[in-house]
Amino acid sequence: MRRTLAVLLLSTLSITACSSNSSSSSAGGSSTTAAASCAPASGPVTLTFTSWVPDIQKVVDIWNQANPNIQVKVQTGPNGNGGTYQNFFNQLKAGNAPDLGQIEYDALPSFRVQDGLTDLGSCSEVTAAKDQFVDWTWNQVSFGEQGHVYAIPQDAGPMAMFYRKDLFEKNGIKVPTTWQEYADAAVKVKAAGGYITNFSTGDPNQFAGFAWQAGAHWFTNDGTNWTVNLTDPASSKVAAYWQDLIDKKLVSAVPPWTDEWNNAYNTSKDWTWVSAVWGANTISSGAPKTSGKWAVAPMPQWTAGEQAAGDWGGSSTAVFKGSKHPYEAAKFALWLNTSSEALTALNKAAALYPAAKAGTSLPALSEGVPFYGNQKIYDVFAAASAQVKPDFTWGPTMTQTYADAGDGFKAAASGTGTLLKALTDAQASTIKTLQSQSIPVKG
Amino acid sequence: MRGSRSGSRHLAAVGFFITPFAALFALFYLVPIGYAVVQSLYQVKRTGTFGPAHDVFGGLVQYRRVFSDSPFWQSVERVQLFGIVQVPVMLGLALILALLLDSGLVRGKRFFRLAFFLPYAVPGVVAAIMWGYLYSPNLSPFTAFTAHVHLLGADLVLWSIANVVTWVYVGYNMLIIYAALLAIPPEIYEAARIDGAGYFRIAWSIKIPMVLPAIVLTTVFSIIGTLQLLAEPQVFRSFSSAVSSTYTPNLTVYATSSVPNFHLAAAFSVVLALATFVLSFSFLKFTQRKGVQ
Repeated sequence: MRRTLAVLLLSTLSITACSSNSSSSSAGGSSTTAAASCAPASGPVTLTFTSWVPDIQKVVDIWNQANPNIQVKVQTGPNGNGGTYQNFFNQLKAGNAPDLGQIEYDALPSFRVQDGLTDLGSCSEVTAAKDQFVDWTWNQVSFGEQGHVYAIPQDAGPMAMFYRKDLFEKNGIKVPTTWQEYADAAVKVKAAGGYITNFSTGDPNQFAGFAWQAGAHWFTNDGTNWTVNLTDPASSKVAAYWQDLIDKKLVSAVPPWTDEWNNAYNTSKDWTWVSAVWGANTISSGAPKTSGKWAVAPMPQWTAGEQAAGDWGGSSTAVFKGSKHPYEAAKFALWLNTSSEALTALNKAAALYPAAKAGTSLPALSEGVPFYGNQKIYDVFAAASAQVKPDFTWGPTMTQTYADAGDGFKAAASGTGTLLKALTDAQASTIKTLQSQSIPVKG
Repeated sequence: MRGSRSGSRHLAAVGFFITPFAALFALFYLVPIGYAVVQSLYQVKRTGTFGPAHDVFGGLVQYRRVFSDSPFWQSVERVQLFGIVQVPVMLGLALILALLLDSGLVRGKRFFRLAFFLPYAVPGVVAAIMWGYLYSPNLSPFTAFTAHVHLLGADLVLWSIANVVTWVYVGYNMLIIYAALLAIPPEIYEAARIDGAGYFRIAWSIKIPMVLPAIVLTTVFSIIGTLQLLAEPQVFRSFSSAVSSTYTPNLTVYATSSVPNFHLAAAFSVVLALATFVLSFSFLKFTQRKGVQ
């Protein structure tokens, strides 16, 4: 019996990993609709801030030197879905979350639904900062609600097309401006021995950016109910388009963010990447052999002459529920994301592309980039940033939606499903997940 | 009078020695397990799209979700298939290696003992990354092979993972069996040799029956390990299109807790623990009935 008990105990160990450090039940009580009071503290304050931006400490050091009474302690971690969000959720449940945390736009609804964010709507400095940010980023942090602000926008990921200028010229292929031209070019690229691009399997965020550009509305929230629509006409159109390229084997399907993926670009096997502004560094570090041969053009359009862009990524700085010093935390978050010294430092440290309008005129963002043949690539992204549709809403369980869509995309890439089926399945499982969390949902 | 006093002193001593263990055992085993069971009986209620959540007692509602979750049960079947093939292969290899080391046929016994054991010292994640690289169709040093046989594809990836797990744990299991072999009294071998038994006869009729308890033990450990596969498939997710976020039961638990849906994750864990318990216990019962022990 003792041995069987030990076996039982051993096997139950896994449970503890995910739920042991919570001590209180849900953080109920205070309502989410009321904004927290936003009064300055009387004495010196120490804030904690968790972020995965590389070298964030250097940026915070600038603040700490200038503000002896508001000292910020940095904790770093893996990127959000790589573990930091899980930590945040656990810390929120245990009531020991940091004062401030980095949260991507697509994860903000998940944190709000878990009652994890402090509404900074009563901090007048915060509400006054609205016009300093690109419109759509403010929509993300305010959920489109007047007088409520749940985070300060940090960076954005407007999308454009990175392409191998040398190869397109050498083979006499026109640089595509519409998705139709892109598909036509794909045939020619294949004939020249390459792939026009790699379809990002297992990471549906890129696809979300494509759908965003096409005018998709995956989630809507009317205040009483969520509506989940991953298969709206725009998304279905995008899914059918990429499915066609996959079926004709015109795109490679290597898992993203792997050495294999870098290798595909480094050996000139893949010729374009429709990606976000931060992708500029991904290519230059992953494909160093192709330096000087790239250029950036606007995203291909669905209708010739249209000017629409999608977004892929971007983060905000949020003040967590339970922070005793929302005023000071908001002050720091505003400085971090609007002051030119912080934006310059963030751009230098991690190539962040600011969500603040003023940030787009940073010296570092108006110079030519040698890897891209000295093209002033950030001009393209500045234009794209203004063309990102402002009304895209993320759902409250994106970790799950991404995981399920990603599973389906992987299946599609290995030929055992389709992208549309992946979206249909992900929609069904998202609705199921919302219901199991008692989040009101239609459907 | 004297007897009862010494009895109470005895009890006090027992209490003194047991308390540290009992306290830690309760703190790190019983309380978390109890907490998980309690969590699994609750569900979340809220009003409005962003209304604050309240935990309310939900009875077995999470368990109903667990039992209607087909990807979870598919993953249970998957790891069972994995276990039925991988565990015997791994333990067979471990037994052969242990017998070879014990046979006196090999020179450099200490070297080989360490060499076989070494993969166990490599962290599981590192081993998975290393093998993932070796399996890669374009970057592997063996592309001549891997470009044609898709070791990371849907058909083979389970067995590619099995190979990693085998590589890591063969040496560990070998050591347990080898230790049992060393405990066999040499007189038995002498008697066998006088009776005319050769190496194989001794291995088959004496050594293997005498180390069967060790083999049963390693089998139970392996069954538990198989049902709890997490690190290797989690690493393989990033470079194989065939490994989904619900590929093994533990990956499902992990994915559910990151939603975050702690109550459902707790229910998954409890069910997985019970399944592990039932399988391990039935294996033990089965071997005991066969008169092994």
